[in-house]
Amino acid sequence: MNYFVSENVFTFNSGTEHAQAKRVQLFTEQGQSAQYVTRNYNRFLARDAEAIGLHAEQVLNMYDFFQGVTDVPREEVSLRLLPQIPLDEYHIEGHGPNYSTINHAGRELARINVMPATVGLVNDIVYYDRYGNTTARENFDWRGFKSSVDYFHPDGNLAVQKMLNLAGETVIEISHMKVNGTLYPTMWKLLNYKGHDWRFNTEDQLFLFFLNEITAEHPGSILVSDRRSLDHVVADVQFAAKKFAVLHDIHTPDIKNPIRGKLYDAYLNVLERRVRDFDAILVPTPEQQADLQKRYSGVDFRVVPDTFVPQAQLAASRLRLPDRQAGNILFMGRLSPEKRPDQAIRALARVVKSVPSATLTFHGYPANAEILNELKALANQLGVTNSVIFGDYITGDALAAAYQRAQVIVQTSVAEGFGMNLVEAMSYGVPVVSYDITYGTRELIHDGVNGYVVANGAHGEMADRIVSILSDDGVWADLSAAAYDKAVTFNGQAMMAAWQQALQ
Amino acid sequence: MNFFVNATMPKQKSGIEHAQLKRFELFNNHQVDSRIVLRDWDPVAHVNANAAGIPDNQLINMFDYFQEAVTVTPKTLHAQEIEFGVPNVQFADEPANNRYLVTAQNGQLVARVNYDATADKRVRSTELFDGYNNLFRVDHYDSRGFASLIQWYTTDNQIGTETWVTPSGRTVIETFNKKTMAGEFVKSGWRLIEHGGHVMQFDTIEELTKHFFDRLNDDFWSEEQPNVFVLDRSHLGDWGLLRLRKPAYVVMHLHNSHAGDAQDPMHAILNNHYEFAMNALDEYDAVVSATHKQTHDVNERFQPKTRLFTIPVGVVPDRLLQAERVPVARREFGKVIAFARIAWEKHLDDLVRAVGIVHKEFPQVTLDLYGYADPADNYKARTSVEEAIREYGLEGVVTMKGYTTEIDAVENNAMMYGLTSRMEGFNLAIMEAISHGLIAFSYDVNYGPNEIVEDDVNGNVVPYEDYEAMAQAMLKVLRDPDLAQRYSTGAYESSERYSEENVWHAWRELLDDAAAVWPAKLAAMPAHAHDLNKEAE
Repeated sequence: MNYFVSENVFTFNSGTEHAQAKRVQLFTEQGQSAQYVTRNYNRFLARDAEAIGLHAEQVLNMYDFFQGVTDVPREEVSLRLLPQIPLDEYHIEGHGPNYSTINHAGRELARINVMPATVGLVNDIVYYDRYGNTTARENFDWRGFKSSVDYFHPDGNLAVQKMLNLAGETVIEISHMKVNGTLYPTMWKLLNYKGHDWRFNTEDQLFLFFLNEITAEHPGSILVSDRRSLDHVVADVQFAAKKFAVLHDIHTPDIKNPIRGKLYDAYLNVLERRVRDFDAILVPTPEQQADLQKRYSGVDFRVVPDTFVPQAQLAASRLRLPDRQAGNILFMGRLSPEKRPDQAIRALARVVKSVPSATLTFHGYPANAEILNELKALANQLGVTNSVIFGDYITGDALAAAYQRAQVIVQTSVAEGFGMNLVEAMSYGVPVVSYDITYGTRELIHDGVNGYVVANGAHGEMADRIVSILSDDGVWADLSAAAYDKAVTFNGQAMMAAWQQALQ
Repeated sequence: MNFFVNATMPKQKSGIEHAQLKRFELFNNHQVDSRIVLRDWDPVAHVNANAAGIPDNQLINMFDYFQEAVTVTPKTLHAQEIEFGVPNVQFADEPANNRYLVTAQNGQLVARVNYDATADKRVRSTELFDGYNNLFRVDHYDSRGFASLIQWYTTDNQIGTETWVTPSGRTVIETFNKKTMAGEFVKSGWRLIEHGGHVMQFDTIEELTKHFFDRLNDDFWSEEQPNVFVLDRSHLGDWGLLRLRKPAYVVMHLHNSHAGDAQDPMHAILNNHYEFAMNALDEYDAVVSATHKQTHDVNERFQPKTRLFTIPVGVVPDRLLQAERVPVARREFGKVIAFARIAWEKHLDDLVRAVGIVHKEFPQVTLDLYGYADPADNYKARTSVEEAIREYGLEGVVTMKGYTTEIDAVENNAMMYGLTSRMEGFNLAIMEAISHGLIAFSYDVNYGPNEIVEDDVNGNVVPYEDYEAMAQAMLKVLRDPDLAQRYSTGAYESSERYSEENVWHAWRELLDDAAAVWPAKLAAMPAHAHDLNKEAE
């Protein structure tokens, strides 16, 4: 089994999670067994994994594993039909779409909070005493079962979390106590696991135990560490046949000096302290491999694909210009300073002078509220408010539709590990205009063939290139065809072969 | 089913537990099924109940019931068998504290294991410490070898949430200790997660207990006959048993005077334990007192419409009734005995005074006191007895013998029995005394002694707190061997009132009443209201 180790699948994911999910899909498509392994307790994992295209058997969460709920089908249980509420004793009283209460003789015993974005499904039930203190909170999994129960200290802070199996028995207890005056989770206790109890001072210790268990159960397994916060845990695992770490980003904030620039602290474990515990360090581009090799001559760096294009996608018929939304410029990615979304707006402002119908659509979650406001202010200031669309973070079909509508995609990042969204865009025939950045740009874009590479920060030049694409259907058609062709090189078979070689 | 409701069945039993056990045995002897129902959590409930003759299958503890642990194969759990989740822990015995200190290989304290040194070092509880030396949890173990009550500690080292778990590890009862608006730290509520999945919350253990009674009533429901709940400790269900969802036959059993001052039964402020029940008297199906005198007084004072039954709480076994009688002439002349705790309410210093007066005329007289000394107020009751001994110069005449189980030998040898209590609920000891032919002298004290002792039949009832009158009554008997023999014979014969047959007959009357009213109670249920019409058709 190939285990790709991460913290979580989030509601809003970064490129790391998407790359990991893509890799699981690649392995599955190519007949290799692989699982996306997560550490964090996440009652919405089934929903979030499905949103990024993963099935239940492709994901393995530590808590689910111990709770024995890795493979539980979803059952929608309306709060009005929840079997645990004796309706011959209690009343359920509705208070709008977000919550209902359980009442006994007119007194509220508990509040049932509705699961976000559902109609009347149970998210949690908060019980309170006659003084209004919260006594217990029952947390429900997206799949419809009671997953955990929380108790609280007298001051209202979390005291105990109890994770349950389907029989309602406690399998993991997390207690929260003070260390030097501050409340922390101080113990993870695993109960009656194969007949024994185990206790751990940190969640990572439990995670290590878990990784040792699954690799011991599946001899010959390969572990791939995808998250820098978990490199030290993967490094400690004893029973894996091989261990690797994949870098998803540039390793130093000093972009101009990747060979000598000061390392990000998060990379110290994987590149220095624990590097000997890995069979090889995997990077998405030959450029990064070369830089790191110069930096750490004794370490085995290998290049692996960061993404792939599924067979079904390659087999789909190619879309032509009339199928698309004229002037639609796409920006995919988190709205955060290192992605420089402001520069895309500046480029657009120049584009609309020549192509008034051009629009810029962002799809990504803002890193914080201010940045969104700043971007809106900038658009307003540049007079393009009506031409900039701030779309949601999207996955699946919505994401595919966005690519199908787009006429061009832009990349303005300070740096990238690879740029998997560009490959994805090209698999829908969308030409790319990107700054010349580290890493990936040169590998993905052949200037004037499947898009254009402009100097880092040259948003005026970027605008000119966009205008040339939008205003000449012939240019667009050639670039689009080349983009489709480029995407073919990321086919599953080729990518799988590259992976297999790297994992030797 | 017949349920006898109590809090616990402790090793040191009071009259209520003895009364329950006698009744339990009586029902078993007559092949009428019953259950001892205990409400309070008690980790040694099964040890004590089994020792008292209650098998597991006739014992229902409320916590056991919800913990799915009514019958569990017992095992003696030793400290070394407990999983602490830490590899290779070391155990250091501290016999002076009856505990082990459990440490990890790095020397860190993982747990303190408290054991029962009198029971093969069975684990009683574990105090668990986290990796930062916080005591975060204490587990209390049932005597049958499983963790039953888990107490989670707060950051300021108080007991926060307490949970009870099944032997398989499912949490079923939770109780919460929280702050009120005034900042007081109190037990603020209970939550129950039932076997069938229902989750219920209760403000108090009384509400939880009421729900438990409903469950018992459901589990043993029969349209043929009612469940009979005999409430032996009023606080456990005087409110709850009146609020069952479905009908049952609910019996309030008085074990003490209903009046706070038992000597003023018609007017005294009510005994606080029975105040609620007395005010709700007509809501119970039956009220049981152990004596006709109390039944009479309850009837006079409250004039209830509900049925009152007099059922002695003591039973004189056939073995004793059929035993060979010991004539007074073969008894130790002048030997007075009493079986009672040396305690304030027993007022034994008065008995010493009575014997002191008798001693002046009959130097042969002796008094043996059998029973533990009550440590209350620094053994004040024993000190009073010792002072009375000095006052009357009775050193060597009065002996405090301590506790004995050799009742037959002692009572077949003595001549007289004395009782000078301030109050009584029944008094099994004086019933046993007359069944051994002892001539009985008692103050006119409510309730029990002044009925068990029948004046001029099996001894004398003298005015309350009049030890001189008791001395005169004893003197009369000592002076007159014929009178003594008449009273002794009267004692043997009057104990027939408490024969198994007679006491069972009294219970049978109550059970018959329960059966007789059941069709009407059943018909009053909406679900059955139309049944009678259907039958008529």
